[in-house]
Amino acid sequence: MTNRSLLSRKDILHLAKLANLSLTNKEIEEYLDQLEDTLSYIDNLKELDTANLLPAARSSNEGNIFFKDGIENGRALTLNETLQNAKKTKDGLFQIPQILNDK
Amino acid sequence: MQILGKSIADLQALIGSRKIKVKEVQQYFLKRVRKYNPTLNAFLTVQDQDEMSPINGVLAGIPFAVKDNFCTKGIRTTASSCVLDQFIPPYESTVTMRLLSAGATILGKTNMDAWAHGSSTETSDYGPTKNPWDLTRSPGGSSGGSAAAVSAYLTPAAIGSETAGSIRQPAAWTGVVGLKPSYGRVSRYGVIAMGSSFDCPGPLTLTVKDAAILLGVIAGKDPFDGTSSNIPTADYKTMLKTKKFLTIGIAKEYMEGMEESLKLKIEESLRIFQKLGHRIKTVSLLSPKYAISVYTIIQRAEVSSNLARYDGIRYGNDRTFFAAEAKRRTMLGAYTLSFGYYDAYYKKAQKVRTLIVEDFKRAFKDVDVIVAASTPISALKLGEFAKYPFFGELMDVLNEPAAIAGIPAISVPCGQDKNGLPVGLQIMGNYFDEATILNLAFQFEKETEFFGVIKKGIARYQD
Repeated sequence: MTNRSLLSRKDILHLAKLANLSLTNKEIEEYLDQLEDTLSYIDNLKELDTANLLPAARSSNEGNIFFKDGIENGRALTLNETLQNAKKTKDGLFQIPQILNDK
Repeated sequence: MQILGKSIADLQALIGSRKIKVKEVQQYFLKRVRKYNPTLNAFLTVQDQDEMSPINGVLAGIPFAVKDNFCTKGIRTTASSCVLDQFIPPYESTVTMRLLSAGATILGKTNMDAWAHGSSTETSDYGPTKNPWDLTRSPGGSSGGSAAAVSAYLTPAAIGSETAGSIRQPAAWTGVVGLKPSYGRVSRYGVIAMGSSFDCPGPLTLTVKDAAILLGVIAGKDPFDGTSSNIPTADYKTMLKTKKFLTIGIAKEYMEGMEESLKLKIEESLRIFQKLGHRIKTVSLLSPKYAISVYTIIQRAEVSSNLARYDGIRYGNDRTFFAAEAKRRTMLGAYTLSFGYYDAYYKKAQKVRTLIVEDFKRAFKDVDVIVAASTPISALKLGEFAKYPFFGELMDVLNEPAAIAGIPAISVPCGQDKNGLPVGLQIMGNYFDEATILNLAFQFEKETEFFGVIKKGIARYQD
């Protein structure tokens, strides 16, 4: 089933970058095969005529639900609760890795 | 007082009439967990509560196990992934909040496939759960820890979650009752998100009545989950009492590729339904093989979005802690949502989802429920899944259509296969009609006592 026509090694690396995942060489090879297999399987949807159908984003018929501004939000966490699982905090803030260069 | 095998309803009566103390019940189950969990690996975290606060409510003093993807305030919650190895949720999920408010107590958190990605509980970063019926076999998954814990009576009931099959399939493989409610019937607030347009919390129990009792507590609108429905809930337990006479649909598309000894059990069950006065009618449904494709595309896309939040900054470890299955799913999701393939894959899958929804709606004009096997084969050996990366989806082939459509379904034991392993029968119902599938499942239980499957499962695990 694996003729490797759909995906290249470069594609896998690009996907890994999009998903912010680091892969080993072995993983890259494995995912190439496995993703190809999966893509071959899901190709069967082409057998179905869907020209006149609308896409379903969900199964329920409920409309959009909005949370009213200004009403008490029981979900709100205290500062301590918000930070309790963070590895690095400073002055009541999350500390994040540097994303801009100094230069 | 013999507690072994007592259902929630039994324990409610014993506690209510003061024949047994709450503390005694708690200690009993903790003792069983300590005795058998080293063998089964069903629990990841056990809650030993020394001090019991005064307990009131319909579930007063009833212990329950909960899958480790439900946030439990102050209790470690990992989703069986090392990414969340030390995560202590600062808030309570709505489902556990409602159970606690009804007086129930959390016995512990159960093992699962990491992030609920899988159908065997083998992708857990904390080792697989063993099937209580045969320790060399998988309990199914992803709610495998919850199912095994109920099957071996380490807890009287457990909460699981289903995206497509994760309650029904392990319930079938370990010989217990598993209910997947309609999408939107039970709040997803505080459940670690996997496939957000599919995820449904639900109970795994020893009896249909217990499933009805738990559904009654956890179902209903939640302001914190916009997808939870405004449709009123029903008195599920009381509605078991009035026997309904139904038209039961069977679809030949769901009988294809089934292992022969399981098929025989399903056919036997259909004869029992007829004997009970129900009418059997053949319906034609879209082949479930398309459901696999729809599910694979949409769920992977939702996974890649949902797992994007794990950056190791606000909580948890960084993304290098993701194991193979989460990476594979995230990669495929990123693929179908990008590369210019959005229309070819994602949108196409959403259109076929519409087709599946309409397919069920059409069928439910002719029949009240649809009956099929819960799984095409019984419990596999541990290690079998790893050989085929796509295997889990094939195992869930009979569960995925209902998950995609968002309709409710229940799996109940209907006997044993040629190897003596439990076989599951599932009853699918119309949108928000949990009462009808529970009613039929209850009739089946009364008539057959599930062919002794529940009792046999527990008998292996004496006090």
